[in-house]
Amino acid sequence: MVVFIALLDTVPYYIFATSGSSLIPPSVYPYVWIAGILAPFTLFIQFVAILVAAGAMSEEYEAGTAELLLAKPVSRAEFFVGKFLGGYLLLSLLILLNGLLSTVAATAFFGAQADLATLPVVVLVEIYSSALFFSVAFMLGELVRRSSLAYILSSALIVASQIVGTYLSIAYELTGNTFYSTIHTYLPTTLAGSLPPQYEQSVLPSVAGRIFELLLGPASGVPSEAVAAFLVGVYFVVAVSIALAYFSWADVSRRVS
Amino acid sequence: MSAPVIEFAGAVKVYGQKKIGPVEFYVDRGEIFGFLGPNGSGKTTCIRMLLGLARPSAGKVRLRGVDPLRKHAEALTSVGYSPELPNIQTFMSPREVLRLAAAEIGLKVGIQTEVDRVLEDVGILQYGDTKVGKLSKGMVQRLSVAQAMIGSPQTLVLDEPMIGLDPAGTAHLRETFREFARNGGTILMSSHMMSEVEDLCSSVGLIHSGKLLFRGTAGDMVGQVLGGDLVHVEARGLSAGTIEALHKIDGVIGIEAISGGVEIKVKHGVEARPAIARMITESGAELLTIRTGERLLEKAYIEALRSGGSKAE
Repeated sequence: MVVFIALLDTVPYYIFATSGSSLIPPSVYPYVWIAGILAPFTLFIQFVAILVAAGAMSEEYEAGTAELLLAKPVSRAEFFVGKFLGGYLLLSLLILLNGLLSTVAATAFFGAQADLATLPVVVLVEIYSSALFFSVAFMLGELVRRSSLAYILSSALIVASQIVGTYLSIAYELTGNTFYSTIHTYLPTTLAGSLPPQYEQSVLPSVAGRIFELLLGPASGVPSEAVAAFLVGVYFVVAVSIALAYFSWADVSRRVS
Repeated sequence: MSAPVIEFAGAVKVYGQKKIGPVEFYVDRGEIFGFLGPNGSGKTTCIRMLLGLARPSAGKVRLRGVDPLRKHAEALTSVGYSPELPNIQTFMSPREVLRLAAAEIGLKVGIQTEVDRVLEDVGILQYGDTKVGKLSKGMVQRLSVAQAMIGSPQTLVLDEPMIGLDPAGTAHLRETFREFARNGGTILMSSHMMSEVEDLCSSVGLIHSGKLLFRGTAGDMVGQVLGGDLVHVEARGLSAGTIEALHKIDGVIGIEAISGGVEIKVKHGVEARPAIARMITESGAELLTIRTGERLLEKAYIEALRSGGSKAE
């Protein structure tokens, strides 16, 4: 996963720097670092989140280690919180790595980068936004208790949300009916993907605007920062509550022989 | 009198159409309790309820006087568990596995000494740094018992602890468990190895189709199910008249001819061998051997299951 992130953060910069630099106006060069941070986030980081979260609980059941650990004086709450925070910490480190590598690669291929003071905050915003799919995948892993099934269901949710979002955008563009854009606002991919670009867009100069247009797509159907942050929190709280309630109530699954 | 270490008070577990229980028994401090029953009878389910891994549908289970679901950490303090299928990471060495187990129960000092102690207790000290993936099934089973014993718990819950062990390993663990109980430890172990249970356990419980059929000593179970103890007699020249006369000895319930002699059923606890031996030799027959029956618990177990449990209840 680390190697894949490293490739994703360096290869596109190399390609654009060597063969496609004419496509990018020189005035944008100091801000290309933001593309390397935000582009993977819209989809790739979401898949990383579910890859980490879907197996966090279910793999413990499958290996029988949950049964062994919970037969020790370890409370269920400790186990649950430990698994959640452990996975989320790993995801956070991968997001941080993505931010650092893309900044280094952008500097190496396009020269000194500007406004890097916003980098820590955008990484934190990405970590916060990634909690949406992380918590949903974590919940599915706990509910179905099979890692492969949890991966499939979580991936299906991302793909379905992305496809539905595209159709809703098209429908809105064609009809102008705000119903479509409103629904689009609540889709998990819209919420998780829109928060980091919106934050950067609000703090970076307009010269970087072209990057955000490409990353965000049409402005319609994208919630405000506050609404997006709130709804990410709602998804998180609901998913974690369901997972915790089920974990507290259900028997500890036996090892898959 | 102190509360039992392990207590099932009408515990029931319902899985769809299947129902285990109500199960009612207790295990006192210092007992080695053999939990018997065929595959699927509910032994592992009871163990899982005891450890707070499964929630009883009705009734109560207490471990050290505490509900393992409500106060999980408190109930499981000083309890070691070895599951039926050892869930041990194959890329680790036994020492690493045990250090991790020590950390999980909050052991902070003397970990290395404790790890070596339990490795020695189960007889795999020399394999302490070998990767688990390279150990034999029996060694992994011993390691599973070792991780249950880390931290010197007062109670051991062992699901088929002797499975896959060679005779030397079985004998080693048997002594380890005896020593554990001598020091006041309590053991609940499920097993299909009747000879081991008969030899090791101070009490047994028999569960069948989710119902606990019997709880008592192995001898009591034999007496109840088989209707008495068995005496094997190997003799030459036993006449029908002598066999008929053996019926009159005090305590003799029945006699069955077997190859090379007779099997005599006597009332449980009655020592009839001297009278039997005397009568056979006085009849002129040649007495070759006379001994109490072997594998009686196994016979009682099979008989109890064959009768659908009615003989054990």
